Amino acid sequence: MLRKPMILAFDTSAAHCAAALLSGDEVLAERFEPMTKGQAERLMVLLSEILIEANTGWEELTALAVGVGPGNFTGVRISVSAVRGLSLSLGIPAIGVTGFEALVYGLERPVAATIDARRNQVYWQQFTTAEVLQAEIIDGSEAESRAKGQLLTLVGDQNRPPLFSTANAIARVAATRLGDPVQKPAPLYLRAADAAPPRDPAPKILQ
Amino acid sequence: MTNTLTFLGIESSCDDTAAAIVRHTPGAAPEILSSVVMGQTALHADFGGVVPEIAARAHAERLDICVEQVLAETGIALKSLDGIAVTAGPGLIGGVLSGVMCAKGLSAGSGVPMVGVNHLAGHALTPRLTDQLSFPYLMLLVSGGHCQFLIVHGSDHFTRLGGTIDDAPGEAFDKTAKILGLGQPGGPIVERHAQNGDEKRFRLPRPLLDRPGCDMSFSGLKTAVLRARDSVIAEKGGLTEQDRDDLCAGFQRAVSDVLAEKTRRALVDYLALNPVEPTLAVAGGVAANTQIRAVLETVSLENGTAFTAPPLALCTDNAAMIAWAGMERFRAGDRSDMTLAARPRWPLDQSSPSMLGSGKKGAKA
Repeated sequence: MLRKPMILAFDTSAAHCAAALLSGDEVLAERFEPMTKGQAERLMVLLSEILIEANTGWEELTALAVGVGPGNFTGVRISVSAVRGLSLSLGIPAIGVTGFEALVYGLERPVAATIDARRNQVYWQQFTTAEVLQAEIIDGSEAESRAKGQLLTLVGDQNRPPLFSTANAIARVAATRLGDPVQKPAPLYLRAADAAPPRDPAPKILQ
Repeated sequence: MTNTLTFLGIESSCDDTAAAIVRHTPGAAPEILSSVVMGQTALHADFGGVVPEIAARAHAERLDICVEQVLAETGIALKSLDGIAVTAGPGLIGGVLSGVMCAKGLSAGSGVPMVGVNHLAGHALTPRLTDQLSFPYLMLLVSGGHCQFLIVHGSDHFTRLGGTIDDAPGEAFDKTAKILGLGQPGGPIVERHAQNGDEKRFRLPRPLLDRPGCDMSFSGLKTAVLRARDSVIAEKGGLTEQDRDDLCAGFQRAVSDVLAEKTRRALVDYLALNPVEPTLAVAGGVAANTQIRAVLETVSLENGTAFTAPPLALCTDNAAMIAWAGMERFRAGDRSDMTLAARPRWPLDQSSPSMLGSGKKGAKA
């Protein structure tokens, strides 16, 4: 008998620690713990608790799934670094899923996923019936006017809620990609690192 | 059953992503089976210093690749390791966090125990990895981010005799290079230009030499270089190659003089302990500077103390030192669990008053 694939998904891209264990179509265990800090200390313990709750262990997993953002830079890196370490030690694939993909999972298109980017901006990605448009960071006002101009469902942030909770959705998206070529999960930032070139010019060198 | 240990080390506290595997049997010299360092100099070149967010982004996507590389090079299976040592601080928190989380993932999936290591202890214990030094020895840790004198009594017992109250010398080298329109990193490039310069032409200060103790300051020295540069520019409208070389030479001599005198004072405190084999060891990237190394060696010999400097690759940030420090701590019973926290501040000497960042979050180093 073929065993159902078992996927452990987790996400710390915002003020939470979220994890879910998916076996086939069934969620065996799931947690969502709001927290503004301390995810790095909590995450691995939470994952162990989930495995224990489902009466299973690391070696039973088929794949790992992780939320790669966009969101809090440090938060995204906490999960991405952990999943890459786990993937290497368990010898199973790690599948990166964006916050947009998780938000629109199971929804009819056209739909646009929005994620709070702070500073009056939102991360935005539009899924038409035919294609997935480039993800971007835009002003809040721009998002509003885009939504008015077209017949578009908005999901996430202040808009309609997604069908599935964060980690559950990440696991389900990952399940559709089992067997795809393995690519190491990498954070999706969309916002450049805050860094400015030095202000003082170099001195003139006389010949 | 032997007491041989094989450890993986992971380092990501500044701008080098590194992994290494070290093996040691008590009574024999430790063996570095593989050591990989992925630098980030090019990523930060445009900004005149390490940008924490850029560093963190690079670490997150390189750590596991470095680990894969050392495992492949040695043909050792992760599961057969005795321990995983990871830098848990002090340093740039984004990078440290990525390292700690990667190590947790490696440990949880393999069942191999994990040990969180102080990055400074990694540097401070390196002479035991390279030269099997016995305790206590005097350590001068001098790098881009740190500068302190430590008496190393044991793998978890350090007395800080003094250190910089502002910039680290490596930072001063970088800033001097920037002021003079030279590239980064500043250490090797300033040293190269200093070779052709007249170190006596510009009168640069020797900060804190007039005060007792081993504390140092390098921030004012960098400002003095800037003033000297500006007065030459005001006079000529620019700098000649010779002006630049002379400034480099004067700056390097000032740093050497300060380190030499403070080392002399640190040796007095250290020798009062009557160590069996008195030894001064240096570590950190600045220890690669030929002139600084030479003056430190001279001061040591004048005081009947042996001098040792690990090879350059083990002076600068690397993961072999983390594997080694982890092994020493592991033998002493240290284990970290999955709640291990990354610490931006983590002084080695917990008893001496802090010098840097003595705010409510505590001492940085």
